[in-house]
Amino acid sequence: MSIRDKYAFAGVGLTQLGRLPEMTPDELATRAIKLALEDAGLRPDDVDGYIYQGGIGGGSSDTVPLQMTGVPAAMVWQVTSLGSYANVAVAMAIGAMESGLCNTCILLHASSATSRRSIVPAGAVGNTPGAYGWYGPGTTAACMARRFMHLYGLTREQLGAVALTLREYANKRPEAIMHDRRITMDDYLNARMVIEPLCLYDFCLVNDGAVALIITSAERARNLRKPPVYVMGYGMDHSLRKVGKSPEAIHHFDGFVTEKAAQQAFGMAGITIKDIDVAEFYDAFTIFLLSQIESYGFCGRGEGGAFVAAGNLKPGGQLPANTSGTSLSWGYLMGFTQLTEGIRQMRGEGGECQIKDAEICLVTGLGGMVDNGSAANCCILRR
Amino acid sequence: MPEIHKELPAINASNRPYWEAARRHELVMYGCCCGALYSHVTECTACGKPDMKWVRVSGRGEVFTFCVYRQAFHPAWKNDIPYNIAYVKLDEGPILISNIVGCDNKDIYIGMPVEVVFEDITDEVTLPKFRPVR
Repeated sequence: MSIRDKYAFAGVGLTQLGRLPEMTPDELATRAIKLALEDAGLRPDDVDGYIYQGGIGGGSSDTVPLQMTGVPAAMVWQVTSLGSYANVAVAMAIGAMESGLCNTCILLHASSATSRRSIVPAGAVGNTPGAYGWYGPGTTAACMARRFMHLYGLTREQLGAVALTLREYANKRPEAIMHDRRITMDDYLNARMVIEPLCLYDFCLVNDGAVALIITSAERARNLRKPPVYVMGYGMDHSLRKVGKSPEAIHHFDGFVTEKAAQQAFGMAGITIKDIDVAEFYDAFTIFLLSQIESYGFCGRGEGGAFVAAGNLKPGGQLPANTSGTSLSWGYLMGFTQLTEGIRQMRGEGGECQIKDAEICLVTGLGGMVDNGSAANCCILRR
Repeated sequence: MPEIHKELPAINASNRPYWEAARRHELVMYGCCCGALYSHVTECTACGKPDMKWVRVSGRGEVFTFCVYRQAFHPAWKNDIPYNIAYVKLDEGPILISNIVGCDNKDIYIGMPVEVVFEDITDEVTLPKFRPVR
């Protein structure tokens, strides 16, 4: 039996985003959970499931946030799926509710990335990539961008169009970290290079903050404070499946592997990509967003740069996307940045960035490394 | 202030033959009887009867993709900025993370033919790197 529209998001609790050294990840998580309960109109003991990601950039510690909010969850799951974990958490929560493990579940991301500086691992016992000076996913993003430039003629101006489009959205969102900071194409082209061919504005933000999302049955959600946001479907893919007889295919510098995720999610939802009114792509780097526009089929392979430069991600474009400014300009909460904005768009809470009459939203995630296998997943939401 | 050293490779029981070969200035890959080659220790995913051993490769290949660091993400690399990271596709198939040496960063391009050179780092560690084929 299909899970389409059987479960819905009922609560969103978002803390301040930015540099918050005075708050621990547990305190951020606690605040987010309280805000989500209030948003949904639920009491702490209405919740019996909890899914969170531990450890990335100084995350929350196991059940401390539950103890601090009085949530008596019986099901507590820790996930470690990097940037893909928001959609992993959606699939886990729905699977858990479908099988009767819980009825109402909090999905949580808390991170204290600026104060801990723990994004780049310290390889004390030997680090082969580190011996060559390889540090972090920015390397693989830069190498992916270089492939797109070589294969498809991608230009820095086209990557700049991604950064500028998202910045324009963030400039209209009061809680966005980059709300007050406008950039022009000149600013982009003259920005400090970080890892060529990528500059400062091609990299996502590094910040503190937390968000808690509450998901429950559609029936229950309909009786709560906010309009339900239904999950129509979700799907998972991984570049690992391409390996087969070609071990080097674990690399996917020429584009993310997302076809299975799309097939599953759109199949479950019973819709096609033409039905998507707004999309929230995982955007740790400009090139990641651009590659997914292509891999999900919104434009042809190699056409992503021109698609974005033509203004198609803006309001009124073919595919309004990343409408809060997301990870590049709003705030980085792993894949929860995109899921949170997707839910808000479906509630009509997008403020000045609300896409008019938007009814169906695609939310994507990516986790892993471009050079060593990565997960790609998505979910489809509707109002 | 103590000197900050660059990190050394993670050498362990399974990959030791690779690093011992590098010490001898030889590049080896982990190969199966079916012809599949891997840059790391693994079971062969290409055939039903894996029979794995380290085999010497030509050390020739081409730049598959690359980037240039303009910011140090580890303090030991501060004086190397700008430096490159390249993914080199060997003629035999596998792709390795390495550095291109012996040319300016601005002269590196995708498809550039390269060959292995060996940089002795410590008494135990030698890093395979690549230079343009002259």
